Amino acid sequence: MGCKLEDRRPDWKSYALGELDARARQEAESHVAVCADCQDELAGLRVTLDAMATLREEELPRRIAFVSDKVFEPRWYEKLFLRPSFAAAAVIAAAILVHAFVRPLGAPASAPSQAIAQVDTSAIEARVTAEVTERLQSEMAAAVNTAVTKAVADTEKRDDQRTAQLLSASDRRYSDAADFLNKQVTRIYALNTGAGVR
Amino acid sequence: MIFREVEDRDLIAKARQGDVEAYNLLVSRWEKRIFNYLLRLVSNREDALDISQETFLKAYQNLRKLDDPARFSAWLFRIAHNEAFSLLRRRKPESELSEPRPRDFGGRLLPIELSLAVESALKVLSEDQREAVLLKVYQGFKFDEMAEILGIPVSTVKSRLYTALDLLKATLAPAVLRKGGLA
Repeated sequence: MGCKLEDRRPDWKSYALGELDARARQEAESHVAVCADCQDELAGLRVTLDAMATLREEELPRRIAFVSDKVFEPRWYEKLFLRPSFAAAAVIAAAILVHAFVRPLGAPASAPSQAIAQVDTSAIEARVTAEVTERLQSEMAAAVNTAVTKAVADTEKRDDQRTAQLLSASDRRYSDAADFLNKQVTRIYALNTGAGVR
Repeated sequence: MIFREVEDRDLIAKARQGDVEAYNLLVSRWEKRIFNYLLRLVSNREDALDISQETFLKAYQNLRKLDDPARFSAWLFRIAHNEAFSLLRRRKPESELSEPRPRDFGGRLLPIELSLAVESALKVLSEDQREAVLLKVYQGFKFDEMAEILGIPVSTVKSRLYTALDLLKATLAPAVLRKGGLA
């Protein structure tokens, strides 16, 4: 004799596998108490699952511990960048720098605090971090280049000024020395030719 | 289980910050389950061990891509599934030559013989069916988690699993019921 519910009979596989919700489970249990056909089906499933439970887990032949190998450890700068505080600080610093470099000419310079306010840190994801980092590197290189060029130019200018001052001072000293010598020569000549001898 | 999930989440957060020891602890927690799942799937200890290693390496490299740390187990098994099927696809022509047949265990079954009967019965299933059984019966995943791991709809998960259970029941029932192996 088959189950009276036919197509609407409980899903016994889901029941046995623990996938029915509480209500469906309760309905299934009420039905199986009075249906021999469903009792047989459920018993067969339970026997199969019990048999399968006899298969024990095997131990690993050797531990998987490759990650402890030093070669897989992040490098010091990777560790630094993996720290959220450092990453956030780096992103903010990068954003400030980028903002400073890409600001349109003539636009008023904004204070660093304003630049920070424009950065929504919560919205900055890994993609932005990567892009900003890349941009930061190129901007930093350009900034360093500019700063070095300016420093060299300033130094050269200062050297030129100093050289000019030294030359000027040297000229003055030379002129003074020449005047002194001229005066001494004139005096000696006067002494040899004039009253001084007499 | 809740505590376990919280702790896993903690370890994942630390591992994401470069804490290798935290990841090692995660590996030690999951390696046995992953290994056994792969062992039953690919039926070769060395292959299962190699794929386990590869699974944990890939998981480590991609840990930052894990959107929801609470779903770490499904994500990890998804990686293991992909690695296993990559191997099974490469191995396909060779395995198609030898169709596995269920072993005949006559007489009353001892527990070890019943285990061997189950192992033998599992090999009769197709790889897809076997994997569905492994994930549900031995790893305890829910249907929706299985769908996520396998990348298929829940309806397909149920269909594979139900067919597998019918086959296993038919394969194991004569030995188990007639001989009273579970009595």
